[in-house]
Amino acid sequence: MNIKYIPIYTDDVEKQLSFFTEKLGLEISGCKNILFGQECTIIKTKNPGVFIMILKQAHANTNTPPIILNTDDCLNDYHSLKTAGINFYNEPEYSPIGLGAEFSDPSGNRYLLIEERIYS
Amino acid sequence: MEYLKILKNNNVIYSGTRSHKLTQQSNTDFSIKFVFSGNENYSIGRRNLSIYPDSFLILNKGTNYTSAVDCTVPVHSFSISFDEKFMDNFKNCWQLKDDTLLKPNYNNRQESEFSETIYPFKGDLFFNIKHLKYHLDHGVQDEMLINEYLHHCLISYFKIYNEEIFQKAERLNFLNRSTKIEILRRLNLAKEYLYTNYNQNISLDDLAEYSCLSVNHLLRTFKQAFYLTPHQFLVQLRLQRAQVLLKNTDYPVNEIVSLIGFECPSSFIRLFREHFQTTPLKYRQSA
Repeated sequence: MNIKYIPIYTDDVEKQLSFFTEKLGLEISGCKNILFGQECTIIKTKNPGVFIMILKQAHANTNTPPIILNTDDCLNDYHSLKTAGINFYNEPEYSPIGLGAEFSDPSGNRYLLIEERIYS
Repeated sequence: MEYLKILKNNNVIYSGTRSHKLTQQSNTDFSIKFVFSGNENYSIGRRNLSIYPDSFLILNKGTNYTSAVDCTVPVHSFSISFDEKFMDNFKNCWQLKDDTLLKPNYNNRQESEFSETIYPFKGDLFFNIKHLKYHLDHGVQDEMLINEYLHHCLISYFKIYNEEIFQKAERLNFLNRSTKIEILRRLNLAKEYLYTNYNQNISLDDLAEYSCLSVNHLLRTFKQAFYLTPHQFLVQLRLQRAQVLLKNTDYPVNEIVSLIGFECPSSFIRLFREHFQTTPLKYRQSA
């Protein structure tokens, strides 16, 4: 058993698709009808076998916790995503596990970019 | 690969491998000096300091120094000089936006000079420098990105400075704040003496004389600041540097023992096992 689809709600599918493809550089894998009888677009992530499923909802729920993305170099990704026009909530901040920065997509879903650092 | 990168805002980054070279210069801007292999010797006034890959040196604007390389392996130096305006902007922006600086240790502190001594190269500074160097080595030209790293190098340097200077000064049992800072300045002389001469026979008298403290005073205050006696500090440093030699060289253990200043291989092996719960040979195999 493993994680295969990560559902993301959006009120504007087109905007959301261009966010994933143009700004995050991900690819569209196709369309599937998996949940609620709704045909939804599937996006291939950089993790083999894990896909993002875009679900249309009139008012996207922004109260869900962020999706946590792993990076080897937070500052580099922060810089390139910011240059691509992505909206970050804050500048990269240090925590006991490393360096992280949080951003949102056009529907208000949150993503936390984390570079875990082993200090010992 | 050698490069000297002068950014538009006058921040300067140098990276290069040198052997047997003597340079004399006046430091125009606040600088941080690293080595990634071998060791480099700096003379500042009467002080002689050696930096190794586990440590770095800071130099304030205008400090006269001589740097010399006299090492059996080529020395890979890496240094950053921060333009004064960049430093000032950084300090203002950090103090205004980050409440870390508002913690008691940072109150009302507007020093323009930092303690010119050797600091441990660790934590976020290590990661930020590693990433910055990787990008520069691979020809990245985007100055916005490079300055982002430099900004974060300063954030992580301030963090180390806070731990190494203010937190240690606070631990000293003196009422007067300026006494604490002065004693810590002298303890840092002792620390840099240990960092530099770790592979020599160091006597407490020499250490006390170098740090301008009496032997008793040195022993008492060193332990308060570092939670270790000078001897324990020295042993820890030697073992740490033995780890680097075990990992990065093929030198036999016996040779490493003498390179790091131990006289007896069996006591080295015992101490190594006590500290790292493994033997030097097993450590080398697993590294």
